[in-house]
Amino acid sequence: MATSKKVITREEWEKKLNAVKLRKEDMNTLVMNFLVTEGFVEAADKFQRESGTKRILFFLLCDFHLCLVKVSFFLNGETAEIDLATITDRMAVKKAVQNGNVEDAIEKVNDLNPEILDTNPELFFHLQQQRLIELIRQGKTDEALEFAQEELAPRGEENQAFLQELEKTVALLVFEDASNCPVKDLLDVSHRLKTASEVNAAILTSQSHEKDPKLPSLLKMLIWAQNQLDEKAVYPHINDLSTGLLQDPSE
Amino acid sequence: MTSLPMTASSDNGRRNENDETSVAVNRRDPIVHFLDKIRLSATKLGDAMEDDNEGEESPTELNTINSAGGFLIVSPDKLSVKYTNTNLHGYDVGVAQANKPAPFKCLTYYFEIFVKDAGAKGKVAIGFTKEGFIMRRQPGWEVNSCGYHGDDGNIYRGKGTGEAFGPTYTTGDTVGGGIDYASQEFFFTKNGAFVGKIPKDIKGHLFPTVAVHSQNEEVSVNFGKEKFVFDVKGYETSARNKQEMAIEKVSIPPNIGYGLVKTYLLHYGYEETLNAFNLATKTTVPPILIAQENVVDEDDSSYDLHQRKTLRKLVRSGDIDAALANLQDWYPQIVQDDTSVVCFLLHCQKFIEFVRVGKLAEGVEFGRLELAKFVGLTEFQDIIEDCFALLVYSKPEESPVGYFLEDSQRELVADAVNAAILSTNPDKKDVSHLHSHLEILLRQLTVCCLERRSMNGDQGETFRLHHVLNNSTRR
Repeated sequence: MATSKKVITREEWEKKLNAVKLRKEDMNTLVMNFLVTEGFVEAADKFQRESGTKRILFFLLCDFHLCLVKVSFFLNGETAEIDLATITDRMAVKKAVQNGNVEDAIEKVNDLNPEILDTNPELFFHLQQQRLIELIRQGKTDEALEFAQEELAPRGEENQAFLQELEKTVALLVFEDASNCPVKDLLDVSHRLKTASEVNAAILTSQSHEKDPKLPSLLKMLIWAQNQLDEKAVYPHINDLSTGLLQDPSE
Repeated sequence: MTSLPMTASSDNGRRNENDETSVAVNRRDPIVHFLDKIRLSATKLGDAMEDDNEGEESPTELNTINSAGGFLIVSPDKLSVKYTNTNLHGYDVGVAQANKPAPFKCLTYYFEIFVKDAGAKGKVAIGFTKEGFIMRRQPGWEVNSCGYHGDDGNIYRGKGTGEAFGPTYTTGDTVGGGIDYASQEFFFTKNGAFVGKIPKDIKGHLFPTVAVHSQNEEVSVNFGKEKFVFDVKGYETSARNKQEMAIEKVSIPPNIGYGLVKTYLLHYGYEETLNAFNLATKTTVPPILIAQENVVDEDDSSYDLHQRKTLRKLVRSGDIDAALANLQDWYPQIVQDDTSVVCFLLHCQKFIEFVRVGKLAEGVEFGRLELAKFVGLTEFQDIIEDCFALLVYSKPEESPVGYFLEDSQRELVADAVNAAILSTNPDKKDVSHLHSHLEILLRQLTVCCLERRSMNGDQGETFRLHHVLNNSTRR
């Protein structure tokens, strides 16, 4: 059943746009959420001072039911100021991994919260694996082998997936020119970044924070909402998020 | 209350630049927008959009006025019905509707009945009907109604014959009926388990309905005062998750979030934050490249960044005199007209600052000197009157006009000054000093969702930023 689409002129659309009630505090909160989840401590701190935005949202992730229990500390001006120190700690861990100082990173994570690695065997294995990669990268073959045998082999015995990863990693030792072998990706800096991300996410989860900032989701929602509305109406779009220009319907 | 016409955010050069009055009006017009924001704060307490149910009322009890008298009685608490008759004619069903129709600016509506006694024949029913339904017929037996019947477990959708739907139900069972506005379906549950769903072809307001039809049948109804047996929140969460998963699949340009935050900080003049932000993005591994293509900054939002930051700081700390002095020095054109919106906002704020520290006498003195001239002007009158009302209360921050004393008011004035300065940029192309890039995108998102809902009979949820930030049930 063909339905003709409702046509909304640019003028009508702009009226609707102007009628939207958006509060500055909410937009500030969105920006603050971005700064915090990205770990930009200094920027978050400055923003708190320059805009008065103290509102940080805390959520408890209840994994079993994938539901969120809202624990809000900020309504009516009663605030829990962001514990910026914990962001600093988290960023220090991330940075350590990114620079290849895995031992240091592990120590820091345990200082922050020993439960994180205890409850995350996969993460712990990946950190150990990264440590092995760094030893190989540095040419410390003997140390690498010893480390692999003592620390990683026992994990591999418990878990098939770990064993496969371990075998891949040890294979690096076998090749003369490790930078040209089939498993050379492991040596790539991107692998460090991957591990760093994993650690970051685990720490955030343990601190009961959202893993990702809200802003990108809202941008995706904009595109999605426009697609949805396209089925029923013809109206001015924003086709290019980076310009934000309103474009007349092309039909 | 006159509302000055708003120029469209991109007027495509329709503005007549040679006309002096229109230039003056144009400089003022966009800043007038900030007055509306104050008015918005005034209504914040009653702002329906903030509520979970956007001001819609929900059913709380059964309607005793239109229920089928003679065939059933409603209990005093209006949450139970009992069939009183002995006949079983098709036109002597005892039907009761809720006192209000189901709200529909939400994801679902749901209610439950508990069969206290299935009586002689167990002809209990739960469903939805419209206003004016023939209250002696089972829900579902007439057009524009639907019902799930306990005696045969069938669903009735507007005619006398039903379709197989689910199990029968009897004494001791809890049966729920719901409307899913996103999928436009009715759904029913039994004892906490989902039974089934059917398309909702009926438009308009629908009343939760319960019916009894044999001797001694008795049913009680729960409109939400008690905990539901069926996990309706879980149902909603999984419906929302499905939508979220679809949304997450959408791809957006990489790092665009960083670009938007950067231009936001630039736009409003948060210079120190911006510097820290720039440093942070450069020193991450790998450095986050906010390519020029990422967010186009046509109007150079870095214009006079330092001055804007300075002014914001002064306003936010309540030092209005210093702010005015700086403006006089750097941008005399902004304060030239002392009845301009910016001047009004600043003087108003100065008054507010007197009240804040309890210097009421000085405030009154200042009011006489500087604010009196605004009283006669229609565009400011309501705001200035509300503002003066601060004097009346011993605890003004707790009064209905307490919002003037909040930090958000200082921020608003700072934003207005910021916009005024941006408007002095000779290179600016259009009325871009009003909204940041981020705000433009958020407005588009809001309108798209509202329109989408409006085309769905105005049923279902819509996007509300405040709600998302404070009540997120995502993830």
